[in-house]
Amino acid sequence: MNWEIVLLFVAPVICSLPIAFFWVKEPGSERARKLPILSVFGLFISFLIAIHILLTYPNGTYTIPWLPDYNLNFVFIFDYLSKYMGALTAFIAFMIGLYGLEYMKHDYRLGWYWFFFNMFTASMLLVVYSDNLLMLLIGWEGLGLASWGLIGHWFRDDDEIAYVGIVGRKVGPLKMYWPPSYGGWRAISTIRVGDMPMFFAVAAIYALTGNLNISQIHWGALFSKIGAVGTLFLMICFLMGPFTKSAQLPFSEWLMTAMTGPTTVSALLHSATMVAAGTYLFIRISWYIHPWALHSVPGVEMLYYFVLLLGLISALYGASVAIGCLERKVLLAASTMSSLGLMFGCAAASYWFGKLALIVAFWYLLTHAFAKATLFLVAGHLIHATHDRFCCGDLNLAKKMKTAFVATIIATIALGGLPPLTAYWVKAGMDGIMHHLVEMVGSLPLDLLILTSLLYSAFLAKFLSLNFWKGDKYHLHLHGEKLMPFAYACVVSMVFLLLYRIVTGTDPLVERHLLEFGLEKGSLIVGLGVTATYLFALVVPRIKALSPIGTFLGDRMYLPALNDFIVPSIGWAISKLIEYTHRAIDWFCHFGLPEFMLSVSKRIRSIQVGYLRVYMKIALAFVMAVIVVSMLGWL
Amino acid sequence: MLEILLIPLVITFLAPLMRPKLATAVSAISFLIPFVYTIYGLAENLVVKQPIIDIVKPIGEFYILGDQISFSFALAICLVSAMVALYSLPYMAHRFEEMGREFESEYRKYIFFYDLYATSMLWLVFSGNFIMLYIFLEISLLASFLLIYMYGYGDRRKVATLYFIWTHIAGMLALIGFLLVASTNGSLAFDSIAKIGFTAWLLIFLGMIIKLPGLGPHVWLPWAHAEAPTPVSALLSPLTVGLGAYVILRAYLISPWFIKKFMVPIFIYGVVSSIYAGFMVFRQNDYKRLLAFSTISQMGYCLIAFCLGTYGIMAVIIQYISHAFGKAILFMTAGGIIANYHGLRDITKMGGMHEYVPTISNAALLGFMNLGGILTVGMFGEFFILKGLVDTFGFDVSAILAVIFVFIISGLYSFYTFKRIYCGKPAGYEKVKVNRLLDTPLFVIGVISILFIFPPLAAILLNALKAGVAKILLLGGVAP
Repeated sequence: MNWEIVLLFVAPVICSLPIAFFWVKEPGSERARKLPILSVFGLFISFLIAIHILLTYPNGTYTIPWLPDYNLNFVFIFDYLSKYMGALTAFIAFMIGLYGLEYMKHDYRLGWYWFFFNMFTASMLLVVYSDNLLMLLIGWEGLGLASWGLIGHWFRDDDEIAYVGIVGRKVGPLKMYWPPSYGGWRAISTIRVGDMPMFFAVAAIYALTGNLNISQIHWGALFSKIGAVGTLFLMICFLMGPFTKSAQLPFSEWLMTAMTGPTTVSALLHSATMVAAGTYLFIRISWYIHPWALHSVPGVEMLYYFVLLLGLISALYGASVAIGCLERKVLLAASTMSSLGLMFGCAAASYWFGKLALIVAFWYLLTHAFAKATLFLVAGHLIHATHDRFCCGDLNLAKKMKTAFVATIIATIALGGLPPLTAYWVKAGMDGIMHHLVEMVGSLPLDLLILTSLLYSAFLAKFLSLNFWKGDKYHLHLHGEKLMPFAYACVVSMVFLLLYRIVTGTDPLVERHLLEFGLEKGSLIVGLGVTATYLFALVVPRIKALSPIGTFLGDRMYLPALNDFIVPSIGWAISKLIEYTHRAIDWFCHFGLPEFMLSVSKRIRSIQVGYLRVYMKIALAFVMAVIVVSMLGWL
Repeated sequence: MLEILLIPLVITFLAPLMRPKLATAVSAISFLIPFVYTIYGLAENLVVKQPIIDIVKPIGEFYILGDQISFSFALAICLVSAMVALYSLPYMAHRFEEMGREFESEYRKYIFFYDLYATSMLWLVFSGNFIMLYIFLEISLLASFLLIYMYGYGDRRKVATLYFIWTHIAGMLALIGFLLVASTNGSLAFDSIAKIGFTAWLLIFLGMIIKLPGLGPHVWLPWAHAEAPTPVSALLSPLTVGLGAYVILRAYLISPWFIKKFMVPIFIYGVVSSIYAGFMVFRQNDYKRLLAFSTISQMGYCLIAFCLGTYGIMAVIIQYISHAFGKAILFMTAGGIIANYHGLRDITKMGGMHEYVPTISNAALLGFMNLGGILTVGMFGEFFILKGLVDTFGFDVSAILAVIFVFIISGLYSFYTFKRIYCGKPAGYEKVKVNRLLDTPLFVIGVISILFIFPPLAAILLNALKAGVAKILLLGGVAP
């Protein structure tokens, strides 16, 4: 058991080292271009182990000593959440790895790419399986670093296909296009802003409880001890990590410009790693906080209400932005943000509804991961085939890329919540939960959810329509890809596996709950509404008359101003002020003071000239001074 | 213990007699042996006390003190000194050529002062007496002064003098402080000092604030660190300035009342220094000067950590190690670019440098990770600072936000600088073949800094620190 667990995280990293080193030595050589197979093999090992864990490991924890004197150890947890999530991550990473063999074949920086890709996967697996918060932070930081490396992978900024936005377009002082190096910087800077408060919260939990194992901390006692304000402060600091990683408002901008990375990276980033890590962590800690049992502890309700609203508002924002987007990947990115918001919202509802809300949120995460990975992989294939970042394509294209077409149809329907495919049941669960909440917190959450669902299916249909049916003109360059269609066909087929588990009620925790939710009248009505908007958007993907609104939405309601204008302007103003201060001190110490001393020394030296009359004058002056002083004294 | 410390000292005098390649290799090995020993010492929780000479009152006994704290500091000093020694060979070859001097004879001079400089720092952290410590402090100052004076850049004589004056003021203030301690305690051996009075503490503290440096006296540092020859910068910035923290730490362990009493102002001072320097980093266009400002910012961490109780003290030590690793790597990357592109230091003329020097760029990433505490030993430093913060101030929102902001700033300027230099449109240079000694040592340091977050190295270091620091502080603050 021991070596297997270590291998799960180490294998991908070790297997990517040969290409990382060899590429530095012989960049672009034929031999070096064969080594990525080894990296994918590393992912394959992780995949096998994750499946083995899913199928055979008993629930519980496993400890490897790290810093026993501090009560900090590598504690791996195997429970419902981690087993599923680990298998999901390893599977998707392996599939995207296969896809990447073909997609990245001609890239100029494979060593960097594969090393960070595998490190990305390993870090996510570490986050998934860790029970210890400090160990989790290692994986967490690894995710941030790897995402930075991969988003800025095409560091030369020389290829327009890697940009986000229309190159050269400006709105006021804002440049509305972002090169890869800038995308990477935006990602890491945003994440840093969230990670440090989270790091503080972890340290504070350690200082207060002496324990960092999520499943062992007495959360209720901790919250009671620090009071309502303390709880809110601590937990919001903690959740700053998940909020920034999962791109909730107002930290969403980095996710949109993360599309400057290779599509494989976007696919991994948006489905099973990184952004999912934030929601996963929130679900995991709520799983052990048992918020539904803490109604007597002050502050907890406020906290969950805050997360609920933040999640749902972010979901609505993301969906609205996606409606206005015309770039393939940015549209999907906005939709991811929307989904993450729904997951946060649904998980936060657990305070009022109980554990089932967490399970529903988790199942939405699973469904979303498979569907979104598929859509991204298809988008990557389309970009490869048409050399265009923007949506374009028609039925002719659909005929030529049948697998992609079918995969997109399945993924959009399964994710949009159209009955009777997977997300319908999960979203029905959400509808039911929010409906339940109406009595406690009002109808706002339910309204937001339904509105988001409608928009969500609309832009998915738009994606399908603009790429395979009613899109702009395009140039097609198919290269006879085999691995790429294989990969997304495999990934999309998994939504049926989930569907099977839901409909048959064989999952030990979901049982028949989702089925019951789905068969309720309210859910069916919402499902029909969603289907109607889907069909409408499929037929009318663009409405000319509404294009100003579309531009406003597509420009992300000018939220980029926060990252690109407001915060930097403040920062530059402060640093300018500081620089002037520094110059003043520097001038005083290294110029003013020495010059002053020099002139004083010159004056003093000028006395020492050797003429008697000078000395006489000085003596006289002294006598005068003595007389004046004594006169004053006498008076 | 003494024998181990004698190795680099003896080599200092032998190395100039050898040919450059051999001298470099021998110097590096002479620091790697104590490096291995320090790890052994930490793993075994050794506390060594080895008398050298007993001098009359009020100076007291000179002895070698090897406890967990000395070993931790020595760990960084040995590794960095060894790696920078290797790096010196190709770099100084370039520098001598640039200055039009004959390589071999100059290198003999250089390696002597280099070894002397590094050895004196190593001995400093094993000194068991304040006067002994002061002597090594001044030797290191002299050696580094001469290195800047002879091989520095720009107006090197002026800069060297500037550096000398500032650091000498620092040394003098500390010396007066030590003498005051001697007059009240009758000895300067660590184990026979009972209490450090107010004036003495103030003088030592002020002296070391100049050396550290804190905001205000920091103005010497950007000059000295930017204009020194790069291998010297790679010792000055990572190792020497942090020794200011070491001296304060030793005084603290003997008599912590001063820092405890003035906890809040020192804490605020540390935060302000760090943020001030952090903002300055964004505005620098000279790679080495930029790194110098980042040093000031990082040393602010140490000042902050001093105020945070037991965990804070441990954080000071970890922060020293982490900053030493990170900054050594970064200065060497700056030097790598200088050596390969004829003195290129202006960041505005860089961009997309990853294209031309990928290995150096990757090493710089490791360096910046160390500064940000990402996946390197610095992570524990930040963790302990934050834990100490809660232990000391509780949930004081303004203190917490200030520290979080300090951490955020260092992460931001790290990656912002990386983006400016190594990413973006390539600036149009020729790709060069980098000398292996200009990049391999950087990776050695980088990999070791990562290994320090995993067992067994993490456990060795942190367990020893806990045993060392916690024990001393719990016993009422008397050094062994």
